Amino acid sequence: MRLGLKLAIPAALLGLSLAGQALADPVCGMNNGQAATGEPIIVGGIYGDAAPGDWSSSTDSAAAYFDCVNANGGINGRPIDYRVENDQWNPEAAAQAAALLVNDTPTVAMVGNGSFIEMAVNANTYEEAGIMVMASACAISECFETPNIVSTNQGPLPSNLGAAQYAVEELGAQHIACIGLNIPNNGIWSCGAVNDFMASRGLQGTTVLLNPGAPDVNSALLEAMATGADTILINQPAGLALAILSAAQEQDVRDLYNWIAPTPLYDLSVPAAVGEYWWGHIYVNAELAPLSVNGPDAQNWIAVLDAYGSPDDPRDTFGQGGYLSARFFVDAMLAMDPAQVGDRAAVADAIRGISGYTSDLMCGPFYVGDADFHMPNHAGYMVKIVEGGFEIVRDCYEYDSPYFEPHRALEAAMGL
Amino acid sequence: MKRLLHVTPSGWTGFAFAAFCILILPEISGRYWLSVFTSAGCFALAIAGVAFMYARLGMVSLTQVGLMGVGGWVALRLNYAFGWPFEVNMVLAALATMVCGWVLALPALRMRGLYLALVTLMAAGGLEIIFATFQFPNGGTGFWGVKTGSADPFLRPWIATSPEAYLRYVIICAVLGFVFIELHRRLQPGRAWALIRRSEAAAMAAGVNVTLYKTWAFGIAGLLGGAAGALLAGSLGLLDDGTFRASESVMIFALAVVGGARYWQGAVVAAVLYKVLPALLNIWGVDADLAFVIFGVGLLHAVITAPDGIAGQLIDAVRGLTAKRRKEASDA
Amino acid sequence: MSKYINWLVWAVLMAAVIGLLGWGARPQMVGLFIASGLAVGSLYALGGIGIVVLFRATGVLNFSGGAAGAAGAMSAWQLIAWGWWEPLAWLGCILVALVVTLIYGRFIAPLLAWRETVVKAVATLGFALIILGLVAFLWIDDPRSITLPTDGIGVRLLGLRITATRLLVFGASIAIVVGIWAFLTYTKVGLQMRALANDRDLSALLGVPILRVETIAWAIAGVLAGFTGLMFADLIRLEPTVITFMVIPSIAAAICGRLENLTVVLIGGLSMGVIENMLTMERTIGLSGVRPIAPFVIAALVLLWYQRGQRLTFGGRD
Repeated sequence: MRLGLKLAIPAALLGLSLAGQALADPVCGMNNGQAATGEPIIVGGIYGDAAPGDWSSSTDSAAAYFDCVNANGGINGRPIDYRVENDQWNPEAAAQAAALLVNDTPTVAMVGNGSFIEMAVNANTYEEAGIMVMASACAISECFETPNIVSTNQGPLPSNLGAAQYAVEELGAQHIACIGLNIPNNGIWSCGAVNDFMASRGLQGTTVLLNPGAPDVNSALLEAMATGADTILINQPAGLALAILSAAQEQDVRDLYNWIAPTPLYDLSVPAAVGEYWWGHIYVNAELAPLSVNGPDAQNWIAVLDAYGSPDDPRDTFGQGGYLSARFFVDAMLAMDPAQVGDRAAVADAIRGISGYTSDLMCGPFYVGDADFHMPNHAGYMVKIVEGGFEIVRDCYEYDSPYFEPHRALEAAMGL
Repeated sequence: MKRLLHVTPSGWTGFAFAAFCILILPEISGRYWLSVFTSAGCFALAIAGVAFMYARLGMVSLTQVGLMGVGGWVALRLNYAFGWPFEVNMVLAALATMVCGWVLALPALRMRGLYLALVTLMAAGGLEIIFATFQFPNGGTGFWGVKTGSADPFLRPWIATSPEAYLRYVIICAVLGFVFIELHRRLQPGRAWALIRRSEAAAMAAGVNVTLYKTWAFGIAGLLGGAAGALLAGSLGLLDDGTFRASESVMIFALAVVGGARYWQGAVVAAVLYKVLPALLNIWGVDADLAFVIFGVGLLHAVITAPDGIAGQLIDAVRGLTAKRRKEASDA
Repeated sequence: MSKYINWLVWAVLMAAVIGLLGWGARPQMVGLFIASGLAVGSLYALGGIGIVVLFRATGVLNFSGGAAGAAGAMSAWQLIAWGWWEPLAWLGCILVALVVTLIYGRFIAPLLAWRETVVKAVATLGFALIILGLVAFLWIDDPRSITLPTDGIGVRLLGLRITATRLLVFGASIAIVVGIWAFLTYTKVGLQMRALANDRDLSALLGVPILRVETIAWAIAGVLAGFTGLMFADLIRLEPTVITFMVIPSIAAAICGRLENLTVVLIGGLSMGVIENMLTMERTIGLSGVRPIAPFVIAALVLLWYQRGQRLTFGGRD
């Protein structure tokens, strides 16, 4: 049906076949091979799919994992009934999706949420309803600075910091110009953190804002160049980032700057889309393990998607995030008193109790804890765009920024 | 006075429908549908404004959703700045938007038809950029009142804090808006508008102050749009620039025509098409992109086949039915 | 004399805006912004030209040109991804936009011929939504790009690198204005189009083959939409929604030419692009953030300028 996707799949599969081992049997939940038949446990998920982006890969991967769990004993014999809604990048639709899933349906938790807008609209709804959200594809501050949402991905702020730190330590950056979206909870928030980080190292950071309504990005690039920076951080969704790169290529300024970017550019179709000019010149931070790392959990994720997902489901960072959220959720549910798995408050407590879960997809341990902020994932990889894919240039490293002090304090209190 | 307050059969139908929406609808709806119907109620009020301008004066405004944004912005800003009750914020937002409507009317004094529509489209385009650049207030400091992090709470009216009560509240406001328009139509301005619509020359010759009454109409559309924006802000507690794109303003006008700009039912039909139909398609599991296609096809079909809008068709059908019955009765 | 006043005012204002915004900046930087603005402005102008040609001949203000261009550009990307020879893919882009536009012009527009101008205009928005929905359904959102061979060729001008694509789109917009002017002036169909634009009813009585002439106008609009879409995809970005709603600033350019004068549409579009880009340098009062507003403000001011001193009188058409 979807022409572009049909083309993207062979490319994705090609990338994976390098990793090999995709045919192993998936391991899910109780893993006893028996279909769960008890009373269903309802779990919700909200994704955003409309212009300007399709973020459904997180819920797709979570759904595949839940199907696999249901075929393997469920939660102590009770299957998970996973219901997802599209927020269409529209605040009203996002509120309606939460009304349907949280208020009208006795869901025990939300898992795999991926959206640019849903968390901003619904953070209060979740808090009032006492439901925990294990999101997977978050991009705005509400995702990380509210009590009831925890995400497996990092969002732009840590990813930017990771990229900036790499540029300072390895590329000798003195002045970073961060081209962000002119959205307070996204661009201004995440570029501001880079400026703070640069200041903490005695260096300089400048924010250049791009209006999402502006068709032309060249002027933002020129503005960034005019700041006198030596490094340009392209803190944009992939489509806009590509536009900025092609404008830079046109003016042939590649060698005048270091080019760094957060995770959105870690996408298998990016190396082909940026073209030969850029191979070897763009450094991208990866929030979760790059596909080439291919640890046991990464292989299990692919095996789950192969067995229970659709071939159309993207194998990307957000998919990894969705899988991780679902897996950690199921692990927490299995550790609960079986009599309470249908109770929202008890499940929320169990999720808050998550501590020290690990996966080879994530650099650090995953935890939730009882706090007003959650950002368990603040370590990542640095990769370089090369012909046909990405090359890891720095293995797992912790981001060093004053922003994470409260998080480190929480981790210390939880004994991690 | 008696003529002024006379309620037509169509008016009775309207009140009956409103009573149904107020008494029964909130009881049978879950939170999802409450949210959908509340949005639809807000947009019905805004559509009433744009439909009224088109039906009474033949003026096309392609800024109505932008004006809703202005109203919403003012309501949010006042809420965070002073913590006044919702009603105060809403009235002030509606008045501020009315002033915006007047400003928009300035070009209308010199042009009409397509050019007027295009000026309003330019205004909508400009508002879209302003909303996208400065965002809606969420409790921050400064003039724009935007901060990072989650939004501070928005005060709903104290009599309508629950979603059910808020839906009733929105519907009552919408009914007041419709009655407001109808009263205008029956008073001096209505007669002036009717004359202007027929012939500006005749109106001028008859001593009607064309400038005043055109500006007045823009003000009313702004007033209703602003109130609708404030109500929408109350429904969600925050607003996003994505709701107020210029294309949505064009869409609202198109839907007002499709619904039937001359009838109150038209505004309701338009709001249902705009908000309830997509929600229904979503529940039925139709792909959001394809829902767009269905929506576009429906729009084109209605524009082509129903000159008086869907409401016009419905009313004709009902009239036809009653006439037939009467004829049958008299024949017998 | 009054004919030249508009030009004089325009020249003075442009010089003032560029001088004011570029004050104190390096001349090279100003040059870069102007070059960048001219390319965007050419796209605004191309969109505007398509709108004006069609509006004059058929009375339809077409909101769906951007969507047709988006459908064309996405098809071109697909053909290239399938390994087609690139020139064929570019041709495919124009062909798809042409077919999409002709479908509307030939089958849907006649059904609406009796409605008011504004209703005809908003109906095309319905069509634009259909196309956009289908395109978004067929191609899921993914980073994509189209590169033309002209991107690799650059001209160094005063130390600036300007790609051949930018020169191409700038040259094409001028060539198209000249070409359409010649077409309208020297061909029979052109004459008929002008007749239709002047008075439809009278032209019909005189035996102008309305359907044929209108179809040709729709075809021209379709080809222009396809070309604009392709250039937009290369120079700006390949995202269907962005290309579709590019039509609103294009209408702003069309307004500058009062929906009739192509030369003014071109100059208006270019000026909008340049001013929009130059605003990037304005950081004291923060206009740099709202720079995309420039086309709308300019169009509104131009409309008011045209209408200055006029009073709305009775009679006459819209």
